[in-house]
Amino acid sequence: MITNHNVLIIGGGLTGLRAAIQLFDSSLDVAIISKVHPLRSHSVAAQGGMNASLGNVPGEDGSVDNWKNHAFDTVKGSDYLADQDAVEKMCREAPKTVIELEHMGTVWSRLKNGKIAQRPFGGAGFPRTCYAADRTGHNALNTLFEQVNKRNIQIYSEFFVTSLIIDQGSCVGCTALDYLQGEVHGLSAKAVLMATGGFGRLFNKSTNALINTGDGQALALRAGVPLKDMEFVQFHPTTLYGTNILITEGARGEGGILLNQDGERFMKKYAPNSLDLAPRDVVARSIEEEVAQGQGFEGDYVHLDLRPLGAERINERLPGIKQISIDFSGVDPINESIPVQPGQHYSMGGIDVDIDGKTRISGLYAAGECSCVSVHGANRLGGNSLLETVVFGRLVADQIINNVNNIESPPKKLAQANIRKSEDHIKALIDREGGENQFEIKEKLNNTMSTKFGIFREKDTMLEGLNEIKKLQEKFSQVSIKNKDLKVNKALIRLLELEGMLLLAEVVALGAIKRKESRGSHTRTDYPERDDTKFLKHTLVTWEDENMQVSYLPVKLGMFEPKERVY
Amino acid sequence: MKLKVYRYQDGMESPRYDSFELESRPGLTVLGALFQFQEQFDDSLSFNYSCRGAVCGTCGMLINKVPRLACRTQLKPLLRGELKVSLFSYPGIMETIPWDPAKEVLVEPLPHLPVIKDLIVDMDKFFEYYRFVEPVFRTSDLNPEKERLMNPEDVKQLEEYTNCILCAVCFGGCPVVGQNPKYLGPAALAKLYRFHLDPRETTDTSRLEIADIKNGWWACDSYGNCRKVCPKGVPPINAIENAANELKSKKK
Repeated sequence: MITNHNVLIIGGGLTGLRAAIQLFDSSLDVAIISKVHPLRSHSVAAQGGMNASLGNVPGEDGSVDNWKNHAFDTVKGSDYLADQDAVEKMCREAPKTVIELEHMGTVWSRLKNGKIAQRPFGGAGFPRTCYAADRTGHNALNTLFEQVNKRNIQIYSEFFVTSLIIDQGSCVGCTALDYLQGEVHGLSAKAVLMATGGFGRLFNKSTNALINTGDGQALALRAGVPLKDMEFVQFHPTTLYGTNILITEGARGEGGILLNQDGERFMKKYAPNSLDLAPRDVVARSIEEEVAQGQGFEGDYVHLDLRPLGAERINERLPGIKQISIDFSGVDPINESIPVQPGQHYSMGGIDVDIDGKTRISGLYAAGECSCVSVHGANRLGGNSLLETVVFGRLVADQIINNVNNIESPPKKLAQANIRKSEDHIKALIDREGGENQFEIKEKLNNTMSTKFGIFREKDTMLEGLNEIKKLQEKFSQVSIKNKDLKVNKALIRLLELEGMLLLAEVVALGAIKRKESRGSHTRTDYPERDDTKFLKHTLVTWEDENMQVSYLPVKLGMFEPKERVY
Repeated sequence: MKLKVYRYQDGMESPRYDSFELESRPGLTVLGALFQFQEQFDDSLSFNYSCRGAVCGTCGMLINKVPRLACRTQLKPLLRGELKVSLFSYPGIMETIPWDPAKEVLVEPLPHLPVIKDLIVDMDKFFEYYRFVEPVFRTSDLNPEKERLMNPEDVKQLEEYTNCILCAVCFGGCPVVGQNPKYLGPAALAKLYRFHLDPRETTDTSRLEIADIKNGWWACDSYGNCRKVCPKGVPPINAIENAANELKSKKK
């Protein structure tokens, strides 16, 4: 079956839904395609909040926040790799974005005076993070879904996108496997927006939803779009020991402290000014360092002590964290410390786009975590990812609105050829009898990524890692699955995910090996210093003729000159 | 420890149950056990999942005859006989197959929704009722300059209902839904009440009137299973009782 729309959005999280509303309100025929129901998107799991310089809570000396402070903190947090024009755009748009969500119906936590509450977050000079207790993503996603639902915007739910349709250098739609029915559909459009989220499940300890397998980045890469800065992977300092479910930075924002096995507040040693609220890369490294020195607990974790907050504040501000700790760890944070360790959390890198969200293929756009615009550079500040999703969901939709009217609807026959290609590929995967097991490959890939491309990196282990990835790619060509059905075949979906992940792993590895410096989340023990002379630039990886090509792109500076980053 | 899993797909005359001996791991959840089954025993086992942290509402299913989230339910306490929830009985949780709760965990699809395959159910009806209650803010200032003020106490009250993750566990646990498939069900009604409660909207009963119909507020028989099974502590039964009382006092 082939259907036609003006604009297709791949992904139904915050970015995709916000863009859909904007496009619909401009009288465009827009459809959302998602491999899960939009409410099951990973955006729903965002806890701590959304940054905006509303200035509802004064700074320490009574001063009032503004967008420039926000921009400075973001650029410094990024270790000066963020593009400052994009940062400026995001920070200027932030207050409006939070207020817009409020008017759409989002329930934000409030101050006594009734204004939207704001809490301190890592690397921020002001209490800037607007929040809805510790369920900010849940509240925002439900609001946007309600708005999408009201508009009756078409949603192709439980559709796994298998290819982007490229014709004469333009993207004119995609093909997708409707996996409940077992049919490949063609979806034609004048423009396609990728809003597919991150690739955290490349790693074995991740806060990400199990669905975060980087499908969108892999699609773009295969279509010929470069991926940017993929070596910058954020490890969140506080994930629950055992399951690696996120324990929000807001827990430390509210006054929680990190303790080693001697009960020592070890962040005093690593970030004497910011302490537990240093940026995530700094705190994650500090915890790893403590554990390496034998100062962690057995099993390689430290304690996050929320008891200083008291029961009332925990119940009011962090009810979800309390429940997660009880459900998944048997620990009630009112009485005991929470066992935490760093875990993969966020992908700073992604599909290379310009400040308007355009990729190098006309008609193809990307926004949110799957893209790299780049507002996070080498390290994202907590509270900036929710902000990015909603700001750029709207702004990139505006760009599409400006461009799409001059474009003719693509002929349907283009989709037909792609449908056949996808069907053939799927059939080949199902029919294959090579004897390799996809789940073993996935597990090995996860181990390789976490041990060789984790918080601390070094040339020799990374080269080993790259070698392992190549071997796993070869093994993939011999994978067989037992389930041969086309209809509701979850083994097939997992196989399609794995196929993309093996490509992305190589991209991460190449970027990391070639970046011979330490910057933000990318920490090389063999190159411990930041090297602005050689590496104040974005990495680009393209896939041409089955080969990865690495090149670089200058960083857009402007407002703030790179300085040493001290917290 | 064993997992006993409901299996069904198109073309089968009746469902069957597969048993699988699990490798015990600390903190093993039903979702983790289903992955073991899929990865080691039969890759055709179908179930939905996403966040694995009890926030996305994807993995609602019937576990030991109680509707729950698979990701939040650990096996060991189940086998020890903990995590018991005493529900008002209804056909959806009647015995289907004998099982030994000390040795096995029984996993079946959520009641009251058509089975697509194995543990995947068709949620269309659930979302149809969600849409019926018009769950969206009515005010529409497109370019607002300021936030509207809200009392923190009001926010606290609202949160009781905004916490709903639309997992449909209450829908599968409601005896009335089983008897009357046209009943809007606890989740949709709790959602409607959330909008009624919101002080930023009108304070009259106009919202409540949407479900002032036979299959709305008035169909609830106050069994209270919804509140007991909700993984997020949402009490739909309170919303329904409050709404019914408000409507009654208005009509007087």
